[in-house]
Amino acid sequence: MEIYLYIALFAPLLGSLIAALFATSKKIVFIGLLTSGLLFVSWVASVILAIHIYGGHIVHVEMMDWIMAGNLHIPFGFVADNISVVMMLVVTTVSTVVHVYSMGYMSHDAGYNRFFSYLSAFVFSMMILVMSDNFAGLFIGWEGVGLCSWLLIGFWYHKESASWAANEAFIMNRIADLGMLVGIFLIYWNTGTLQYDEAFKLVPQLEMDIIVSIGIFLFIGAMGKSAQFPLHPWLADAMEGPTPVSALIHAATMVTAGVYLVVRANPIYDVIPNVGYFIASLGAFVAIFAATMALVNQDIKRIVAYSTLSQLGYMFVAAGLGAYWVALFHLVTHAFFKALLFLGAGNVMHAMDDELNIMKMGQMKKVMAGTSALMLIASVALSGIYPLAGFFSKDKILEVAFSSDHYILWGTLWVTAGLTAFYSFRVIMIVFYGEERYKKLGFHPHEAYPFMLWAMAPLAVLAIIAGFFEHQFVHFVTVLLPSYEFHTHHVENILIAVTSAIAILGIATAVIMYKHGPIKKDLTGCKIYQLLINQYYIPKIYEKVFIEPYEELSRIFWKIDQKMVDSSVDFIATRFYKTGEATRGMQSGNLSNMLIWMVVGLVILLFTAVVLTQVLPIVADLYSKVG
Amino acid sequence: MEHILSILIFFPAVAGLLGFLVDRNSIRAYAVAVTGIEFLLSIWLVYMFDMNYDGMQFVESIALIPSFGISYFLGIDGISLFIVLMSTFFTFIGVVSLTETRNIKEMMITLLFLEMTMVGVFLSLDAIMFYLFWELSLVPMLYIIGAWGGPLRVYASVKFFLYTFAGSLIMLVGMLAMAYLYYQTTGEWSFNILEWYRLVLPENFQFWLFIAFFLGFAIKVPMFPFHTWLPYAHGQAPTIGSVILAAILLKMGTYGFVRFSLPLFPDASVTFMMPIAILAIIMIIYTAMIANAQKDIKQVIAYSSVSHMGVIILGTFALNVEGITGSIFLMISHGIVSGALFLLVGVIYDRRHTKLLSDFGGLSSVMPKYAVIFAIMMMGSVGLPLTIGFVGEFLSLLGFFQQSQTLALIAGTAIIVGAIYMLGAYRKMFFGKLENEENKKLKDLNGKELFALVPLTALVIILGVYPKPILEPIDKSVTALVRLMHEKALTEETKAVIPNIIVLKEVE
Repeated sequence: MEIYLYIALFAPLLGSLIAALFATSKKIVFIGLLTSGLLFVSWVASVILAIHIYGGHIVHVEMMDWIMAGNLHIPFGFVADNISVVMMLVVTTVSTVVHVYSMGYMSHDAGYNRFFSYLSAFVFSMMILVMSDNFAGLFIGWEGVGLCSWLLIGFWYHKESASWAANEAFIMNRIADLGMLVGIFLIYWNTGTLQYDEAFKLVPQLEMDIIVSIGIFLFIGAMGKSAQFPLHPWLADAMEGPTPVSALIHAATMVTAGVYLVVRANPIYDVIPNVGYFIASLGAFVAIFAATMALVNQDIKRIVAYSTLSQLGYMFVAAGLGAYWVALFHLVTHAFFKALLFLGAGNVMHAMDDELNIMKMGQMKKVMAGTSALMLIASVALSGIYPLAGFFSKDKILEVAFSSDHYILWGTLWVTAGLTAFYSFRVIMIVFYGEERYKKLGFHPHEAYPFMLWAMAPLAVLAIIAGFFEHQFVHFVTVLLPSYEFHTHHVENILIAVTSAIAILGIATAVIMYKHGPIKKDLTGCKIYQLLINQYYIPKIYEKVFIEPYEELSRIFWKIDQKMVDSSVDFIATRFYKTGEATRGMQSGNLSNMLIWMVVGLVILLFTAVVLTQVLPIVADLYSKVG
Repeated sequence: MEHILSILIFFPAVAGLLGFLVDRNSIRAYAVAVTGIEFLLSIWLVYMFDMNYDGMQFVESIALIPSFGISYFLGIDGISLFIVLMSTFFTFIGVVSLTETRNIKEMMITLLFLEMTMVGVFLSLDAIMFYLFWELSLVPMLYIIGAWGGPLRVYASVKFFLYTFAGSLIMLVGMLAMAYLYYQTTGEWSFNILEWYRLVLPENFQFWLFIAFFLGFAIKVPMFPFHTWLPYAHGQAPTIGSVILAAILLKMGTYGFVRFSLPLFPDASVTFMMPIAILAIIMIIYTAMIANAQKDIKQVIAYSSVSHMGVIILGTFALNVEGITGSIFLMISHGIVSGALFLLVGVIYDRRHTKLLSDFGGLSSVMPKYAVIFAIMMMGSVGLPLTIGFVGEFLSLLGFFQQSQTLALIAGTAIIVGAIYMLGAYRKMFFGKLENEENKKLKDLNGKELFALVPLTALVIILGVYPKPILEPIDKSVTALVRLMHEKALTEETKAVIPNIIVLKEVE
């Protein structure tokens, strides 16, 4: 079985390296085929592993040593167990689809080969992240996906906004990574190991304060990757990258790494329910916070990005409240329908010559029947309508909140469910229905290549049926994860009805409001609209509070370095010169002059001798008597 | 080959002397051959080195002035082994990739002498010899900056010389005092460092001697606030000067801390741990921010050097095996990465005769190979896992975390501030539109440049993925060092700070 683990892990790397060799050459279609094929191989290996693990085995390998110093021992160790194999399946499924899709999407791009090299490198990093059996290995993947994200957001590097967004994402993630690193240090110095199994075994013996710190610092790491408030602005800006990247990295896989971390570290979070409650509250806040921003935005990709942010909030609610399998379940279903939604948005964008503003579209259904159907499926799933996947997983999260008596959290998520349905269908209605505004603006939209639509089909199927595998899923992952006791059996049906009702209400409102295209009323004067369209002014605040002062302080420090630190060195040096200049008169060679100086020196010497031998003892004597 | 160490030191010097006889046109081939042989010799040394032994190997000892205990005493252990290898490697790479055309013969001979002094410093186990090589290393560098440098070269080189010289004189006084104390205790003079190790000094002597050595090393490193000579030196030095300065000469200071300060003065090291850590943190953050404000790519890298040296100092003064091992590994990795970055700056300077970031932009499209290698080095510099930069930085911070969690947390911002200036500079150089007409016809890396840069790039990745061959011998010797410090420690406080390795290993 070990061989399958290695195949699953290294097939994407192989593809990436081969593609990298041709990174600067002209487009080679074979590179796209090869990397996609290798990802399919990786997917097959993951499936085989999953079947094997279903039989009750865990595949654990230690490939070689990495860092050994003092008592620290970090191997390259990989594990395929019930948790990681779920992630492996999600990652390889979505990335295979995205690779095939990209062969169409990037077909006219000069950086075709380079793109596939980066994309496969990302998959490799993500596999390391989920398969590592220790925190250091997790960190390799963690930073690796950060690097690939930087490369891919800034893929069109000639665009100022793209390279800016890439740097923003990397740096903001690094801030969070410091938290993660501190968490790792705490684990090492308190348990003496970074291996998951060994460290988790020792967790119950640690002091409460230490476990709380570990939990908090690891979560800070998770906040960066999963773009939780206040480290969220990078995600919306990351939409500068090519759309397949957004689908794979910024919707389905990388951003869920934070959720994976909390799920993986469940033995830690299980003993600190207060931290868990904080995580859940933050999650609920982010869910509604991001959903409100999605309500008014006109950029199709940004709307989907805010939606991702909002759904990540949902996952953290479940994870924070100890319902780890529920979080993981929503992670899986969300990966399918959100990737689908993004790829659909990519088709729309392509059709519109990279135009992102939904206000310029409308009635696109006519020319893009396939895409519109796929996006409709994704939106229904996202809204949580029975029987699509989103219904099952989202409903479970609401149930968890209700079951643990956190009614405020439940209420927040309930409202958010309505908002989600509303903004999803706002996009659908404005883009695919209403009047054909694009015609007036001179666009000639066309449907994407058929093979791109076929590539999206598996995701659509999964978005429809994944929910029905809930019981198998629970059975599979609760081998390792704690099962969650629901106390809501008496109200279960009422809860489902209430949640479905608000989702349907949201959809209905959107359909009615945008039946004839965007509302004509000018909202720009409205304060709430301004607040939402400006993302609560947070990017501006960051600019003023962090970025500008940092740049200014950098310049001030530079001034200080030149004008104070360095000048004092030069000052000392010039004093020596000056003293030399001033006293060179003494060395004039004139005998009488030199004799005078000699006498002066002698007097000083004598005086010093007298002071030292005669006066000082008397003073010291007096002093001691007084004292 | 019992005298391999002597050969390593004096082969380049003798070859340098003979170099005066070599014709100007063939001096390049001659220097390449000499430094190549020297590099192969040092590889052979690594091959012969017993990785399982933690003490000094290939020891050579000849009494020079017996009445004062001065001897010709050489040896190598896990701590110095790879620093020596790096010195010979970089001299070789530097000579091969040299693009300087003015007075090439003098340059080559100067480099060969410089190589002797560098190798000598890291191999000497006698304090006087150490001091001699330490000071001698200033002369070739003074010459390189002063003769081949930019417009302010005389100011920069004199500043470099006098500043570091002043520091080392104080260190010399410390050494003399140390030998005198040894004489007082044992009745015999000695400058033998290994014999000094066995001397247990009273706390107040440790205190003052620590300061004396500290000044010598701190100026060399250079630690804040003694760092201001470095930007001038880098700003004016030719590429080869910057490469050697950043990659190897700065490491003499940090090496000195490990070789002298820690084992000789364990109690004082503990006393000074926190103040030095605070200086190190200032170095890390303050100079990283200054790097962020620079308009000249070479200055960005010069200041980033200071910032990274801060992490090395912090790791050294973690006073545990993880931290010290990490800091020594970081010396090597920083050598490779910063050396390569200065070479890369040299590449663009040779083509455009400017180092201003504002003159570039969009270079990725005309110089893709250059952009890729620069990106890999940048990732090494910001310490991305699986590059060489991560291992040392991670271990240094991890080590210091045991001593102070708060300070380690603040020092950890190195990974953020480092990313800010590096990514910012990279963006200005390589991303955006290619607008400057002069940049549109730039040629990508040529064969000679690739010959120098590709091995460095490979090392950055290989040693990042598999650092064990280097970490293991370092770890062995550092374990011995920490054990010595623990045993020598006078106070209970010191013993508590410096972990007792033997106990820990037995518990396992």
